[in-house]
Amino acid sequence: MKKKGIVSLMLLSLLLSLLTACGNSSSTNASGEQSVIDAGAGEGATELSYWTFVELHGKHFEKMLEKWNAENPDRQIKLNVTVMPYDDMHNKLSIALQTGTGAPDIADIELGKFPDFLKGTPQLEPLNDVIDPYRDTIVKSRIDIYSKDGQNYGIPTHVGASVAFYNTEILEEAGVDYTKIETWDDFKKAGEQVYEKTGKYMGTADTSAAWQESMMLAQQGSDFTDADGNPQVNTPEMVKGLQILKDLQDANVISTIAGGQPDTEEAYGEYNSGNYATAFMPLWMMSRFTNYMPDLAGKIAIAPIPVIEKGMPRSVGGGGTGTVVTKTAKDVQLAKDFLAYAKLSEEANVEIWNTLGFDPVNMKVWDMKDVTHNPENEFVKYFKNNPFDVLNEIRDEIKYVKSVPASPTINNVFCTVTLNEIFEDGRDIKEALDDAQAQIEQELQ
Amino acid sequence: MIKRFLYSQKVAPYVFVLPFILVFLIFWVYPLGSSVTMSFQKITLGQETEWIGLDNYTKLLGDKIFLKSVMNSAVYMLCTLLILIPLPMLLAVLINNKFMWGREFFKSSLFFPALTSVVVAGTVFRLMFGEMDGSLINSFLGWFGIEPVKFLKGQVTGFIALLALATWRWLGVNMLYFLSGLKSIPDDYYEAASIDGASAWQKFRMITMPLLKPTTIYVLTISIYAGLAMFIESLMLWNGNNSPKNIGLTIVGYLYRQGIEKSNLGYAAAVGIVLLVLAMTINMIQLAFSGLFKKED
Amino acid sequence: MKREAALNLKESTATRSKKEISLKILLFVLFAILCGIILIPFYAIALASFKPGEELIRYGLNLKFDLSVMSLDNYTYLFTGQHAYFTWFFNSLLLTVVQVALTLLVSATVAYGFSAYEFKGKNFLFICVLLIMMVPFEILLLPLYTLIFNLGMMNTYSAIVLPGIASAATIFFFRQYLSGIPKEIIAAGRVDGASEYGIYLRLILPIMKPSFAAMAILNGMNSWNNFLWPFMVLSDERKYTLPIGLKTLLTPYGNNYDLLIVGSFFSIIPIFILFVAFQKYFIDGMTAGAVKG
Repeated sequence: MKKKGIVSLMLLSLLLSLLTACGNSSSTNASGEQSVIDAGAGEGATELSYWTFVELHGKHFEKMLEKWNAENPDRQIKLNVTVMPYDDMHNKLSIALQTGTGAPDIADIELGKFPDFLKGTPQLEPLNDVIDPYRDTIVKSRIDIYSKDGQNYGIPTHVGASVAFYNTEILEEAGVDYTKIETWDDFKKAGEQVYEKTGKYMGTADTSAAWQESMMLAQQGSDFTDADGNPQVNTPEMVKGLQILKDLQDANVISTIAGGQPDTEEAYGEYNSGNYATAFMPLWMMSRFTNYMPDLAGKIAIAPIPVIEKGMPRSVGGGGTGTVVTKTAKDVQLAKDFLAYAKLSEEANVEIWNTLGFDPVNMKVWDMKDVTHNPENEFVKYFKNNPFDVLNEIRDEIKYVKSVPASPTINNVFCTVTLNEIFEDGRDIKEALDDAQAQIEQELQ
Repeated sequence: MIKRFLYSQKVAPYVFVLPFILVFLIFWVYPLGSSVTMSFQKITLGQETEWIGLDNYTKLLGDKIFLKSVMNSAVYMLCTLLILIPLPMLLAVLINNKFMWGREFFKSSLFFPALTSVVVAGTVFRLMFGEMDGSLINSFLGWFGIEPVKFLKGQVTGFIALLALATWRWLGVNMLYFLSGLKSIPDDYYEAASIDGASAWQKFRMITMPLLKPTTIYVLTISIYAGLAMFIESLMLWNGNNSPKNIGLTIVGYLYRQGIEKSNLGYAAAVGIVLLVLAMTINMIQLAFSGLFKKED
Repeated sequence: MKREAALNLKESTATRSKKEISLKILLFVLFAILCGIILIPFYAIALASFKPGEELIRYGLNLKFDLSVMSLDNYTYLFTGQHAYFTWFFNSLLLTVVQVALTLLVSATVAYGFSAYEFKGKNFLFICVLLIMMVPFEILLLPLYTLIFNLGMMNTYSAIVLPGIASAATIFFFRQYLSGIPKEIIAAGRVDGASEYGIYLRLILPIMKPSFAAMAILNGMNSWNNFLWPFMVLSDERKYTLPIGLKTLLTPYGNNYDLLIVGSFFSIIPIFILFVAFQKYFIDGMTAGAVKG
């Protein structure tokens, strides 16, 4: 009879749990909630929900919310932050927006996915009016990549200026002075010296990210897409850029890396072990260094990227997250105002540098010596030279690649197929690019 | 009145099977039906749905990546059949041998990997087959003076990793299936054969193999199904659905990519229907060949 | 067989037993090596659970036993750190228990309906059961996803449990089992005046008990490791099951490898204990589905 008791007890608990599971769903719908940030909000505060795939972004909002609630006692906010994995969050957001149910008020959308959310009539609120007060101080191109037909739908987090990260320990061992590297030819000579003296590679030939191709195209004033947004990946400029990289690979200057590009956990390990001397990455790579490569503290120097010919622009913006307000937001104006405050105001941009280690879009911050050169800042401490010295040197040279509906497809084909064929299998560059062009066109049909 | 109706011997069976009917209608017939419908449509969520006839299917035929995924799934399925049927059968016969020491222990050890989640197993194998010289497989190869291999970047080596994962997880399970099949073969058959002076191989050929046929058919059927529908193994081994040059992309992976990652629901539905037809056809042919439909068997 | 050998080949018994012993050793060595290989991944992950995550990232998963980098830090973090691991663990446990109990009950009921009665449409319905076993569930992912969405069941455990509640394989197995139970029991029950449902609940269910263990294990294994469908349905971190939670640790946006590895290893331990305790049932359960010769 004991058994019977257990069975009925079990059944009861099941039913109860099922019921509670159902009950929860009706109130939260498609979204889950992870943490509610009160940040000193009072009784009458409006509750807004926010989805992100980067936990730190939530932390940043938490800091800004405290200030907002103190400054706006009549418009206080409680923020529900949900952190989901990258793919999962974008997939769920996309479905929620298109079906018109279950979307949050505010959400992060990564640049690579952004064009998908601008298809047709975007289910996002235009943010022009709240951006306007800050427009003169922020980098225009970072707003443009989240825009369609003159409407700005996303608020940027950083510039993502690409730079070179040099491991000076390896370079010194090989007798190379990185400050003398200006062109790819210089880089090649230095790299050959490094390989000869230390047996280590100077840099990486990326196969799972297209940062390097962006840099090469920007230097030549070209892009992945033409003026009408059509893919053009087999242009002479692209061939030339890849040819330079391939040539470096053949000379043992650069080599493919575990993980396929510097921003992967396998590659962090390779760098931390000192197997590669250079990473060409957007500036946000800094936080990867401080988080995952503790052994390199004090050894990494930041410098402009080599160019094909002197005088060409030395940087390009890479990656990024646009924060959006959805059409179904409870209080659109409140969400927009808070968002602009939390990401575009001067305080916000100082905070973005301090806690996230990003190059803020508000250029005024770049000139605030006490902020950028604060000796207590963990990023200032970690790197050999100050990142803002380099940023200010190249600030007028930061180009950007267009983000258009075709971009996600182009990126996908490049990072899964084309770059692998070229750098892993040694396939002919022009052939691989022609195939890529055909594949992209077919997929976009 | 209602009570008497419900309690009658005529109605009772329907009450018993009602849960199945409901589940079947709601969670199988309806989704399957809408899958078929969707495969003839161009669906942009939140916008008008367009009927486009067979366009999705004709597009699939010319879609190199889809064909690649079909190829991958088919090759994977074939390889798992070639490895995971003869090998477990042989092991079952060996372990069933009366000269076997520690049978129960070995049985359990070989079976245990099946209990680990694919998420855990896939991650462990991804790290084991990492391309650094220090990772497990490469350091092992290093003892024999073999250069480190970039396992997960090559078609063949990538499949080696995939198949290693599959073998690791299913070897013991399939062995158990064959063992339970062996149990049903009476001992006197072997004794009689011994008296006739049959060799071990002859006994295996003439008694074991034919009498294991039902088990083999069962294992074959579930392996075909599992092989064609494989997805999570690839997802975990490459830590995402985008393997280099799509070497690990499977049919279900492509369905997931189109349907969930790109919101091309109609196109993804067509991929699903092709998979369904493929799985049904192969299984029907297999069952017909192995004579399951013959009354005599 | 032994008797035969003794009778016919008396003089060669000595060589025979020598042969037997070498055969024994050969078999033992063969299986020992095989098990060694099979167990390597477990050993590797057990070892890694004592190493810091960055060690793993830098050198890959390996078998280096290096006490200088090994510590119990990961375990301390697992049991005292700020994370949702044990929420996931509990969720998985709850979901598995719920799912197994409901699935077994419902499937057994359906199977009884199929086995005890003759009724119109029975054959057709049973063919449907067999058909389900052949349709790859994965092709239904998208329509099912939209269906669950429209029903407002996103992010609920009901959405995970309900579609599989009448499990075809389990129905099939129970029906096979029930076909071995004499029909006289049912007839006797009717004579005693029991209702149709009373017969099932009081007479048949108790007889089916032994078959429940096997099916509980089979369904339990599937449920504990179930990934794709729950992954699509659940979006609230606090509702994640263990496999989903562990997968979310695989993002480049957080230094989670410490927790990932120790968590993965720890997730195997309870199954291992259950397995050691109920080995026989596990093995019977696995083979229960196989067609009997």
